[in-house]
Amino acid sequence: MRKIVAEFVGDITNSPYRIVSRRSLVSEWTPDICFAIKLDDLSQQDEISRLQEAGLGNVAGIISSDVYIGDVITSDTVPNRFNVVYREIDQHHSLFLTNRCNSHCLMCSQPPTAQDDSWLIEQARAIVRHIPGSPLKLGLTGGEPLLLGVSLRLLLEEIGAHHPSTKVEVLTNGRLFGSSSIADAVLLPSLNNVSWLVPIYGPADFIHDFVVQAPGAFDQTIAGLLNLQERGQPIQLRIVLIEPVLKALPELCTFIGRNLPFVREVALMACEPIGFALANRGHCEVDLLKWSETLEQSARILRRYNVPHLFMNTPLCSIPQSLWKHAHKSISDWKNVYAQECDSCEVKSDCSGLFAWHEKGWKPSTVRPINGVLV
Amino acid sequence: MRYESIGQPFRSRELNDGEFVVISDSGDHIFLSSTEHEMLKSNPARISLELSAALRARFMLASAGPQNGISRLLESRIRARNITVSSGVSLHIIVPTLQCAHSCRYCQVSRSLTDIGHTISNEALILACESIFQSPVKNLTVEFQGGDPLVRFDLIQFAIDHIEKLNVSAARNIRFVVASTLHQLTTQMCEYFKKHDVFLSTSLDGPKDLHNKNRPTPGRDSYERTISGIGLARQHLGFDFVSALMTTTKASLHEPEAIVDEYVRLGFSDIFLRQLSLYGFAKKNQNFQGYSLEEFNVFYKRAFDRILEWNRRGTVLREVNASVILNKILSPFDAGYVDLQSPSGAGRGVLVYNYDGFIYPSDEARMLAEAGDKSLRLGPIGTSAAQFRTSELNKNLERAGTVANNDSCKPCAYNVYCAPNPVDSLAQHGDLNTPPEVTNHCNKQKWLFDFFFEQIQTKDQWYLDLMYSWSNAGSKRVRQ
Repeated sequence: MRKIVAEFVGDITNSPYRIVSRRSLVSEWTPDICFAIKLDDLSQQDEISRLQEAGLGNVAGIISSDVYIGDVITSDTVPNRFNVVYREIDQHHSLFLTNRCNSHCLMCSQPPTAQDDSWLIEQARAIVRHIPGSPLKLGLTGGEPLLLGVSLRLLLEEIGAHHPSTKVEVLTNGRLFGSSSIADAVLLPSLNNVSWLVPIYGPADFIHDFVVQAPGAFDQTIAGLLNLQERGQPIQLRIVLIEPVLKALPELCTFIGRNLPFVREVALMACEPIGFALANRGHCEVDLLKWSETLEQSARILRRYNVPHLFMNTPLCSIPQSLWKHAHKSISDWKNVYAQECDSCEVKSDCSGLFAWHEKGWKPSTVRPINGVLV
Repeated sequence: MRYESIGQPFRSRELNDGEFVVISDSGDHIFLSSTEHEMLKSNPARISLELSAALRARFMLASAGPQNGISRLLESRIRARNITVSSGVSLHIIVPTLQCAHSCRYCQVSRSLTDIGHTISNEALILACESIFQSPVKNLTVEFQGGDPLVRFDLIQFAIDHIEKLNVSAARNIRFVVASTLHQLTTQMCEYFKKHDVFLSTSLDGPKDLHNKNRPTPGRDSYERTISGIGLARQHLGFDFVSALMTTTKASLHEPEAIVDEYVRLGFSDIFLRQLSLYGFAKKNQNFQGYSLEEFNVFYKRAFDRILEWNRRGTVLREVNASVILNKILSPFDAGYVDLQSPSGAGRGVLVYNYDGFIYPSDEARMLAEAGDKSLRLGPIGTSAAQFRTSELNKNLERAGTVANNDSCKPCAYNVYCAPNPVDSLAQHGDLNTPPEVTNHCNKQKWLFDFFFEQIQTKDQWYLDLMYSWSNAGSKRVRQ
C-alpha cells in the first residue's frame, strides 16, 4: 500500500478521508463520511476553519503533492504519514482485513501476526463508505479473512449496499468453510457479487499441508470448496509456482480437472519474492523457464477438462510463447516495475513486469528482451 | 498428524504390455508396473512419496489423517457417475409403426408398407405422449423409431404437436429425434421439422454397393434415396441436424476403410460402428448374417485406424463407441449411456412406447418381443411409472442388471464403468441372469475397455487431446 506524506488542515478524526476538490465537495457531501479538500497551500486555511465552525466537522483540508482527488486515505502510526487505501485510477483495488492467519505458507508475502487487529475490519467497512464511485472489482485480502467470521459477512453486505455493481474477490484459504456452520454464517443466499480466490498447492494432503505449513489444511480446503460449490459460489483456484508445487503440478491439474471441474478458473502465479518466501528461498526460488515443459503440460491438462486458466506475475520472457495468451498483467500498480532489459523488449506493453522488490529477492527467470516475435 | 498411506478399494487388470491399469471407486485410473501394482496390493505404506501423491489424488490410497473433505469428494464423484440415469427416464422412444419400405436381411422387426396391422392406435399414442411427462427429468429426448416412422409422418406430427401442447405447462427441454431411412422425406416434412427443431438420424452402412446389398428395396436404390434424403434434410434443417449410423454386416467386414471414407466424403462428423445385434429376424439368420466378436473387433480396429488417420489430416470424425468408452474413462461427467449403468439403464434411463400398445424397458426389449418373447412388457401404455417401477419384472431387471449382485462383475477391473445387460442376456441366452462372462455384451465391453486403455497409454499428446475431446471431459454439467 502506498505511504504518503501530507499535512492536514483543521481538526481531524480517526476516520478515513476521501480527497475532494472544493467544487466537488458540494455535490459529494454527506454527513456519514469524512472529506479532505485538497489545498495548494496554507493560504486557504481560513476557509477550512469557516467550514468546520459552520458545523461541517467532517470536512478538513489536506496539503500534499501525493494525493489525488478521489483518493481514500487513512492515518498511519507515523505523524504526517498516511496510507492511500484507495485510488480511483488504479487497475487493482484491495482492502486489507486482518494480519492473522491459520496457515503459515512457505512463500507467504504477508507474514501473519497473532495480535488482535479487529480494528482493521472496522476500518475496511469505513473505507467502503468513503470510496467514491464504484470500482469494477474490489479485492479483500489478509491474513485469512474467514477468521473474521460474521464481521466478514457484514463487510460484504456493506460493499453490496454501497457498491452493488462491484465484483468482490476474497482471498481465502477456504479452510474454515470446511465447517458448514461457518459457511452458512458467511455465505448468505443473497450473496451474488462475490467470488472466492482459494489456493491449492498439491494433489495430495502431504504436499499441500507442507506448503501451507498446517496439518489437515488440505482436507479442510477440499471440504470448503465443496461447501462453496453447494452454495453456488464462484471459485478461482490459485496455485503459486514454487518448487514443491511445480514438482506435482500436472498431477494437481489432473486432480482439479477430475474433482473440481466446477471452479470458474485456475490462476497459476509466480511467487512474490518477499516475506516468508525470502526466508524459505530454497523452496521458493525457481527459474520458471526451466519448468516450461511442466507448465505447458499442466495447461494442456486443464484445457482437456475445459478448465479456464491464467498465468499471473509471469513476465512473458519467463514462460513459453504458447502460454502468452494466458498471461495476465497482474501485479498491483504500486508494486509493479520493469527491469532495464525490458526497455528494448517488443512485448513490454503486454507483460506483467516484475515485483518492485525483485532486487532483494529474485526474478521468476532471467529477464531478457523479446524481439522479432512471430505471432 | 500422520500421513502414512492406507490402502483403498481398487480393481486392476493386466494389459498387453504387462502394465496394470488400476481403477478406483471414483473411476480414476492409473497405469502401474507389476512391481508397483504388487506393492499397492500388499504393502501400500512403503510406496514412494511421488507415486503415493498420484495414488491419493485418485482415491487409491488414503492418508491416515482426517478425511472429511476427501470422503465427501469421493461420494460426490460416485454420485456423479450415476446422476444421469438415477434422476429419471430421459430417453423416450415412440414406435408409431413397424412399416418400412426396406426388407433388410438383418432387420429385427420391420414390416412391409402394405402391412398396416403394425401401427400404434390413436389412444395409445396420446397416452404415450402424456406418459413422457411422468419423468421428473428436465432435459428429455423423444425419439421416433420404426419401422420407418416417416411412413406415418401424420403420427409423428400428431405426437410432436401433442407433446408440445402438454409442454406449455410442463416446461421441459425436449429434443425430438426421428430415426428414418429418409426415403419418404419431403420438403413439407422438412419445414415442419425445422419449425420444431427435430433431429434426423438415418442409417448409412457405407458405400453404395454395400449399402444397397445390406438394405434391399424393390428399386435397388436405397443408397441413392437415403443420400438424397440427407441432402434435402441438410438443405432445410442445417448440417448439424442430420446424423447417420451404420450396421456392420458380414459383407462390411472386408471394407472398414471404404465405410469410413464414405462418411468423410459425405461430411459427417460422427460415425457409429455398430456390431449387428442378433435379435429378431437377425437371430434366425445368424449363420448367414452372423460373425464372431473377434471378427468384429478386427473390423473395428481397422476402421478406427482409418478414422485416426483422417483426424490427423485435420478432418473431424468421431467414433461413437469410442466416445462412450472414453467418456467413462476420462470424463468426470457421465454421459448416461444406458447400457453401461448399474443398475442397468433399461427401464430406468429409457422407455419404449411400442406400436403394440405396450411399454418396454429398451429398444432391444421390443425387438425381442417381435421374435416372440413378450416377457419384457412393463405394462400397457398408460400404466403409471410408479406401478411398473414396483413390478416383479422391473425388480428382476434391476437385480440382474446390478454389478453388486453379480459375482463375476465384482472383481472386474471395469465394473465402475459397466454393468450386466439383462435384456441382452435374455435375448441371447434366454435368461436375464445369464452369467455376464458368457455374453457378447460383457466380452465386447471388456475388449473395448482394454483397447482404449491401451490407446490412453500413448505418449502422443495430440492423440490424448483427441481422446479427451471425444470423451466430453470438458462438458460442464453441474454435479450434485
